[in-house]
Amino acid sequence: MPTLPVNRRPSEELPVVQRIVSVMWPSFVTAAASTIVFFALFDPSDLARLLGFPELSAFAAYTAGFFGFWLSTSISSTLSGYFSQPTYRANSNGSLDRE
Amino acid sequence: MSSNGTATPSGNNSDQDDLYQKHQKVYVREVHGLFATLRNTAMVVLLGIYYGLAWINWDGQQALLFDLPERKFYIFGLVFWPQDFIYLSALLIIAAIALFMFTSLAGRLWCGYACPQTVWTEMYMWMERLVEGDGRKQRKLDQGKHDSSYFGKKAAKHALWLAFSLWTGFTFVGYFTPIRELAENFITWNLGPWETFWIFFYGFATYGNAGFMREQVCIYMCPYARFQSAMFDRDTLIISYDEKRGEPRSRKPKKALEAGETSGDCVDCGLCVQVCPTGIDIRNGLQYQCIGCAACIDVCDQVMEKVGNPKGLIRYTTENALEGNPAHILRPRVFIYVGIITLVFGLLIYSILTRTPLEVDVIRDRAALYNENNMGLIENVYHLKVINMDARDHEFSIGVDGLEGIRIAGETDLRVMVKSGAVVEVPLRVEVDPASIKQRSSEIYFNVSAIDQPDLLQNEPGKFIGPVSR
Repeated sequence: MPTLPVNRRPSEELPVVQRIVSVMWPSFVTAAASTIVFFALFDPSDLARLLGFPELSAFAAYTAGFFGFWLSTSISSTLSGYFSQPTYRANSNGSLDRE
Repeated sequence: MSSNGTATPSGNNSDQDDLYQKHQKVYVREVHGLFATLRNTAMVVLLGIYYGLAWINWDGQQALLFDLPERKFYIFGLVFWPQDFIYLSALLIIAAIALFMFTSLAGRLWCGYACPQTVWTEMYMWMERLVEGDGRKQRKLDQGKHDSSYFGKKAAKHALWLAFSLWTGFTFVGYFTPIRELAENFITWNLGPWETFWIFFYGFATYGNAGFMREQVCIYMCPYARFQSAMFDRDTLIISYDEKRGEPRSRKPKKALEAGETSGDCVDCGLCVQVCPTGIDIRNGLQYQCIGCAACIDVCDQVMEKVGNPKGLIRYTTENALEGNPAHILRPRVFIYVGIITLVFGLLIYSILTRTPLEVDVIRDRAALYNENNMGLIENVYHLKVINMDARDHEFSIGVDGLEGIRIAGETDLRVMVKSGAVVEVPLRVEVDPASIKQRSSEIYFNVSAIDQPDLLQNEPGKFIGPVSR
């Protein structure tokens, strides 16, 4: 791999689209897959009864399930993105002195 | 790849720059030719299937309907249940291996011709051209004065896009809730909140992906784009620029020749770049942004024809062929892929044909372990769930065995009618003479079989609990 010049910090200069997409997209895909597997195993009408919302429609349950999954997977993706930033930024001036 | 910091392969220099570039809209020039025709045909056929299939009926039932509230999946007369999840997995395996096979044969055929992202992007670009004109006119419009004609055109384009997006979202929901009812409700503006939400959500995603994101989806979001090179080998047909023939490129080949310089076939007209939907230069070699749409082949062939050179300066070719080695289209990996696909497909068909479209769930009543009735027999209470997954209604007879003298209390010939796709819960008591109970918990079997079709049967095990007689 050709080394990048030190003054260029890739994580700061990735296109905005790529940064947004790298959080929203993987979380969307895993949320969709999880929703399919989850509701293949559990009937939303059973769950709704158990949770005490017998009037909840199936469509509403699927929607809530999907967005619930998406919320948690996107939090996970956001944290991954956050922790994959270079650690030097944790210092107040974010300087590159140590390199 | 190790680097000593000196040499970088030619053509890769732009890679680094791409990391830092702001996204710029790619203005695509329209192209005609063999591959454009193929691509447009694929687009019309695939969009036709998507928008049309939802309206086709089969046996008085929507041919393809994933009925989420009922948790049933109607596929051309067959009814699938969430329990049939395994079939979906098999289909996904087939799809994945087929993708690998086509990739190793001819690169990104999927991306260029069949991927929904490509197909809808083509459709949206077509609408854009309809309103704003070709790529060059679009650029002029965007860079020119923002007058009434500018806003008029933009409004018309977005209105077209939005209408098409809404139709796309509507069709999507129409695969999950009967589309004819949905259409009625849509016209009378009587849609449920969740249906409305999903129509707009899916429509909005289409509008964004096909109208704005376009090639960025392929470049940033698609995992396949990044690992597809793992399936390439020296015999994979890929779209390549014949460097040996084209270089040195020259805008004025005749003058170059007169000046005593050599000149390749490439006239450096730049059209291959202008037609590229991802905005790359194919002459820099194979790049992961290339979706294999072959637009550059079409346009370059036209130019070669005009300047009187043979076609195929950019063409589908293999690395081996470019180096003058013999090409092997049919090679071991292709046969292996075909073998796996045939095997999984065969298993899938076999198991669908031989599956028993009947399911029985046995649920023991939890209120009491057992009772002794007034005849001195030991009784257990059960709920049987009989699920008829067949396309026809059936009457089922229910019996029980597994212990000596075991029988269903108060019934001599228990029958239950279950409509196609329905679930009927049958409460029943099973009684046994305490003398034949040898252990605290014995395995018994509920035999459920269709009266009109004796091979449609299930023997579902259950537990019978009773006092052990000594």
